[in-house]
Amino acid sequence: MDRKEKLNSLKYSIINSIIPILIAFGIGAIAIILAKENPLSAYGTLFYRSLFNIKGIFNTLHFAGPLILTGLAIAISFKAGLFNMGIEGQLLSAGFVVAVMGNVWGELPKTVLVPLLLVVGVLVGVIVAIIPTMLKAFYNVNEMVVTLLLNYAIIHILQYLTENTFRDPSSGYVSTPRISSNAIPSRIFEDYRLTTFFIVAIVVYVIFYFIMKRSKLGFEITALGQNRNFAEATGMRIQKKIIIIMLASGALAGLAGAGWMMSEKYAYTLSFSGIPGLGWDGMLIALLGSHSPIGILIAAVFYAVVKTGSSNIAIFTSVPYEIVILLQALIVLFLSLKVFVKPKELKLGEPSVPKKRFKNLFKGGKE
Amino acid sequence: MEVIKTVDLTKKFGSFTANKNINISVLEGEIKAIVGENGAGKSTLMNMLYGLLKPTSGEIYLRGRLIHFNSPDDAILNGIGMVHQHFKLVPSLTVYENVLLGVEINKEVSIGNKKFKTFKVDQKQELKLVNDLIEKYKFNINANAYVKDLSIGAKQKVEILKMLYRNVNILIFDEPTAVLTPQEIEMFYETLRELKACGTSIIFITHKLGEVMDIADSVTVIKSGEVIDNLLVKDTNNKHLAQLMVGRDVLMHVEKKYKDYSNASVIYEVNNIKTKNKWGLNCVDDVSFNIRQGEIVGIAGVEGNGQSELVDIISGILKVTDGCIKFNGNDITNFWPDKLRKNKIAFIPEDRYEQGLCKEMTISENMIAGYHDSPDISKYGFISMKKRLQKSIDLINKYDVRVSKIEGLISSLSGGNAQKVIIAREFSSDPDLIIASQPTRGVDIGAIEFIHKSILDLQEKGKSVLLISSELSEIMSLSDRILVMYKGKIIGEVMGKNATREEVGYLMMGITHSEENTNG
Repeated sequence: MDRKEKLNSLKYSIINSIIPILIAFGIGAIAIILAKENPLSAYGTLFYRSLFNIKGIFNTLHFAGPLILTGLAIAISFKAGLFNMGIEGQLLSAGFVVAVMGNVWGELPKTVLVPLLLVVGVLVGVIVAIIPTMLKAFYNVNEMVVTLLLNYAIIHILQYLTENTFRDPSSGYVSTPRISSNAIPSRIFEDYRLTTFFIVAIVVYVIFYFIMKRSKLGFEITALGQNRNFAEATGMRIQKKIIIIMLASGALAGLAGAGWMMSEKYAYTLSFSGIPGLGWDGMLIALLGSHSPIGILIAAVFYAVVKTGSSNIAIFTSVPYEIVILLQALIVLFLSLKVFVKPKELKLGEPSVPKKRFKNLFKGGKE
Repeated sequence: MEVIKTVDLTKKFGSFTANKNINISVLEGEIKAIVGENGAGKSTLMNMLYGLLKPTSGEIYLRGRLIHFNSPDDAILNGIGMVHQHFKLVPSLTVYENVLLGVEINKEVSIGNKKFKTFKVDQKQELKLVNDLIEKYKFNINANAYVKDLSIGAKQKVEILKMLYRNVNILIFDEPTAVLTPQEIEMFYETLRELKACGTSIIFITHKLGEVMDIADSVTVIKSGEVIDNLLVKDTNNKHLAQLMVGRDVLMHVEKKYKDYSNASVIYEVNNIKTKNKWGLNCVDDVSFNIRQGEIVGIAGVEGNGQSELVDIISGILKVTDGCIKFNGNDITNFWPDKLRKNKIAFIPEDRYEQGLCKEMTISENMIAGYHDSPDISKYGFISMKKRLQKSIDLINKYDVRVSKIEGLISSLSGGNAQKVIIAREFSSDPDLIIASQPTRGVDIGAIEFIHKSILDLQEKGKSVLLISSELSEIMSLSDRILVMYKGKIIGEVMGKNATREEVGYLMMGITHSEENTNG
């Protein structure tokens, strides 16, 4: 692609991401008015408190960590033409196991326990992803359906385990025991919530960026996502690639879940991942960032701004926290509309409206 | 009388000019050929005449009247019809039902002096109308037959009937002979002559110069969107036209040296392989052949007789259910494509944009696909961007691929240049055997010549080639040995040196020598 084309397509993807956000905020404003608040001051609170002071910025980045990972998890599967909709379930499972093990292994020193738990989280994510992966790779079962449905099975299994087997009897609500303080990654700055987990997330992001852009594997995954027949014919073992990419996606989700548990939640509760859930947020982020690496980074930070900001709205105004759910739903809705679509490049000699050609072929006729 | 005349017809796509000041005229009842290389702008011109595209500037006159078509509907109403290369027919309907599709005649009932249309289609009336047409143009097809049972040549006739029924008197054909066997091409010529005798004017697009000489009255040569020359066929010849098309001398027949390979060692052996398609039918049925060192073996056949599946098996995409394949004495049955490439077998796939190239990737990315793990461009699992680019530039220069930007998308290249990317990639891997399937499909004469030469050069170096093509002249001019495939089987073998078109053509129709003799 030459520079001009690149700029052009960049322009369209930016427009396509910003327009839905603006529309969503516009409709969100109506909801805020209905809550008898001034939308401008509500949105002002949202952005000011999460973006325009140091504490807010670090808070935002703190929330952005797992979102970057879940966004990436969706985007890489999409890059290969696969849809891992099971990020949420993989993330929850990893969070749950890390919560349990973070309590059991509490005696281990921090330098050992923190990396160990992150690895555990990754492994759990991979294990959960194995079922849909194998079904897809060996029996060509639609991975979207399997991963999506598996989420609900996992949610209820984890609910059962939290309510019964692993319930902390000393807690007043349904929760696993708190993880040991050795399992909590240290803060980067003493006064702010941002932990070393954010650094881990960024490092993982950079590694994946280079693998996707520069490596043989990334090359084959891109080819597979663009044209499966081509990838097969040029000798890229697509079965293997499907397994790798689905498991990598699960691993990223697992890492996100482990990090979220260790740096923010400290115990598994039934609202561990929040509403609508970090996995689902990842989907929005991947969409908003048009599945491009830089786009995901920006979208994850933006979404973290909205998320942290909306809890501030709830605190400082009478608009409820759920405004963020409304905004998310509206953004997804309008993203899928794609109001300003890049006009499809005309192929030489081809008719500009191919559909019409078909329609017209059988019409006309004898007068 | 001029039925169609264009004056300074110009079509621009953005900054690209596809047609520039085209002036052509078609006379009443003549057969006009439009020739030109791929991407010369023939299709654009035809699409403007048929109302699919609107001219940027310039005028089209129909029988002296200025016209503006908004859609093919307008064109058909004005008597201009088009027969596309890929037929648009419903296989499960009969010939007459296809002809009247969309303009069915409903039975009428009279109540008092008013007539009402019923829901029921008047099949008798329809059949009669279609039969009248068939008789008028001496088409020799059964209007009651189901389209799925027809040969390709007959399907083409149904397409023509569809247009004739709509009172079209100017017919545009887009590469009409691409899918026909030699015998069917003869019949197609007959059809054209009949149409001409009935006063229909015909415009057909082609790259095959032989056809122009055989059937056309006049010819227009288009190059890079401009008319190079308007000629009467009787004033020109093949060679002259070819020169006009590509602007330089072209070897019409590649120089091929025939040798006796019967004593050379067998390097590739296919033994009794079978496979089933998704409907459970044996689409490759007990096929055996071998290729000797330095030999070019051609597989001819009408498309859809199992060649594609055979190539898929050989390329490692489809598995055999029975039989085995050996290369240099080693069993390579059901090997993966990457393993076959490591064994020094290279592939030019039949479907350029499905299997050969990835349209959404750049030229340099396509240049290395399949060989991206070779040590000269990748190390420790990472591909060196610099080396990838360097390799692509080298290959682009060596194989004369015309590109505007090396990091541009492959879809920005013309068919011929895209094919050259595949040729460059596969030939540069120094293979011992090349499997070339339809290597020149849809590419221009310049590129055909280049590809044929590359194949023969490879043979000079002692390499072997398996050539699968539905283009008979390609098979005839390159192969040392010709195998003919019919209904999943190899039904005949002819030595390339003394093969005749008729002989191979009969085999392609499934007629073997013994039958030919018994049938007289």
